[in-house]
Amino acid sequence: MSTNAEASKPAVKLEHVSKRIGRKTIIDDLSFDIYGGEVFGFLGPNGAGKTTTIRMIVGLMRMSHGNIYIQGHSIRGEFKKAIAQVGAIVENPEMYKFLTGYQNLVHYARMIPGISKERIMEVVKLVELQDRIHEKVKRYSLGMRQRLGVAQALLHHPSVLILDEPTNGLDPQGIHDLRTYLHKLSREEGVAVIVSSHLLSEMQLMCDRIGILQKGKLIGVETVDDFIEKGTAKVRIEVDDARIAAQAVKEKLAIDAILPDETTIELPIEHEKIPVVVDTLVLSKIKIYSVATAAKSLEDRFLEVTGGKSVE
Amino acid sequence: MSNFFGLLQNENMKIYRRSSAKVMIIILLGLILAAGLIIKYSGDQPKDDPHWKQSLIQENKDLNKQMDSVKGNKQATDYFKKTIAINEYRIDHNLKPHHGETLWTFVEGAAANMVLVISIFTIIVVSTSIASEFDTGTIKLLLIRPIYRTEILLSKYISALLFTVVCLITLFIASWLLGGILFGFGGAGDVYIGYANGAVYQSSWTLEVWKGYLLNCVSLFMMVTFAGLIASAFRNGGLAIGLSIFTLMASSIVVNILQGYDWVKYVLFANTDLTQYTTGTPLRDEMTLGFSLAVLAVYYVLFVLVGWAFYTRRDIKA
Repeated sequence: MSTNAEASKPAVKLEHVSKRIGRKTIIDDLSFDIYGGEVFGFLGPNGAGKTTTIRMIVGLMRMSHGNIYIQGHSIRGEFKKAIAQVGAIVENPEMYKFLTGYQNLVHYARMIPGISKERIMEVVKLVELQDRIHEKVKRYSLGMRQRLGVAQALLHHPSVLILDEPTNGLDPQGIHDLRTYLHKLSREEGVAVIVSSHLLSEMQLMCDRIGILQKGKLIGVETVDDFIEKGTAKVRIEVDDARIAAQAVKEKLAIDAILPDETTIELPIEHEKIPVVVDTLVLSKIKIYSVATAAKSLEDRFLEVTGGKSVE
Repeated sequence: MSNFFGLLQNENMKIYRRSSAKVMIIILLGLILAAGLIIKYSGDQPKDDPHWKQSLIQENKDLNKQMDSVKGNKQATDYFKKTIAINEYRIDHNLKPHHGETLWTFVEGAAANMVLVISIFTIIVVSTSIASEFDTGTIKLLLIRPIYRTEILLSKYISALLFTVVCLITLFIASWLLGGILFGFGGAGDVYIGYANGAVYQSSWTLEVWKGYLLNCVSLFMMVTFAGLIASAFRNGGLAIGLSIFTLMASSIVVNILQGYDWVKYVLFANTDLTQYTTGTPLRDEMTLGFSLAVLAVYYVLFVLVGWAFYTRRDIKA
């Protein structure tokens, strides 16, 4: 699907996007690119502006400054051309409850030229709703509504897929299937997938790159691997007396240690500094039984970056 | 606008798949039935007069006398002239008058009252159509399609007006059938005898009834547009429904109170009743049909522009 030329052109491009409501700046000068063939994750505490950014990308909200391009088309100036490339769920997939799942899909299919009945049934099969598609959405579970939401987003073969909290309400099997499918879409069909989620472990498995948003500002865009490896690691050292060890490290290296118990100290240090610490402890006549680096999750790193604020 | 037809199909689906639309049609049919039964059984139907020509001649003599007694009162004189002219026309053309209710007088009588009911229904339909998508959050999935918001709003407005047409057709057929069942299908072939500009004319009842629907729909049209404006501006269906129906109901009282002031002619509701120029008397002497149409047009453009601006320009935060 994607040639090299296409791959190098961003599927979604944000250029100095700001959003002000009254005097409050909700989004402050966001600029970044998202490419076809990647899964991009949006991370940030509640109120950081994730949903506002997604709403501006799909044209539900106007930006105060800047511009957003989807496959080169401005969402402001060429709304129809830009939005035709996008399939999305914004927050919860709210459907018409008094209609059946199938009628809901027909409703959205009528709004875009060239969607056949076969295509509708194709996406229905894809999200495995074929048995209950002719039932009213009223009677659907949250997971089924979520799947119907994914179905409507995929109807028109979008080249940009935006899913706000896509795993909400899905069971573990459903999450796994969705993840597999999103990877397939991005790898095989070159779709640019944008997700936001509060399940950080989920993001770690799903995303190639993540953008962290805090108080309307972009703190960083990094690949998931870089994001986790960068920065300080947590080193756990088993010693004979944790108190003395901690004192030694503080005096000689000015590092504050955490003492989970009598015989363990934990140090937030970079990988390269581990030998220095070990040397110091040995010179202070402290017995070392083991040294371990704790594997950091995206969550630890996230809390670190955002200053310990919880995500939800 | 290539897939505008699809948008209309969508909005129609959303109107008629709701249970409220079915309930409205049932209420409408129930009210027509109730009206028919009340008229049929509430009093004795006058018998047909076999010597109707003599009766009419006698009536005209009486009317002429009465007319002399009210000389100077233009309104009363006009009324007598009209009745006399129609009576003479009936005698000359051998058209027997009907006493009591016939199929067509029932259809005509149902029009004025039922159009008010249909107004309320259409106000509910347009307000729900526009505002409920904000309440349920479906607006977010609706507006991220390659369709301008203007087209979406227009499809909602037109489909609501189509609902009015569906109701009017239902009203016409139902009242025609019920009128036939209760008062005899024999009256179906009657001709309409009207009086305009000092001359009697013959016309078809179907045409006259639909003319009546149309004239009665002027205020419906304005209030449905007003409801659309409120629903777009405040994104609140209840407010739009309440405010529009209240305004619709209060309008005649307000116009009556303000009748003495000359600026009342610029009030919307002083102009919505166009029958004041066809069969009645204008609210104020200086008002003409052209004047009323101009006032209506100004209000209409105002409603549409403000509603459109709110719908297309405001952020979606729902």
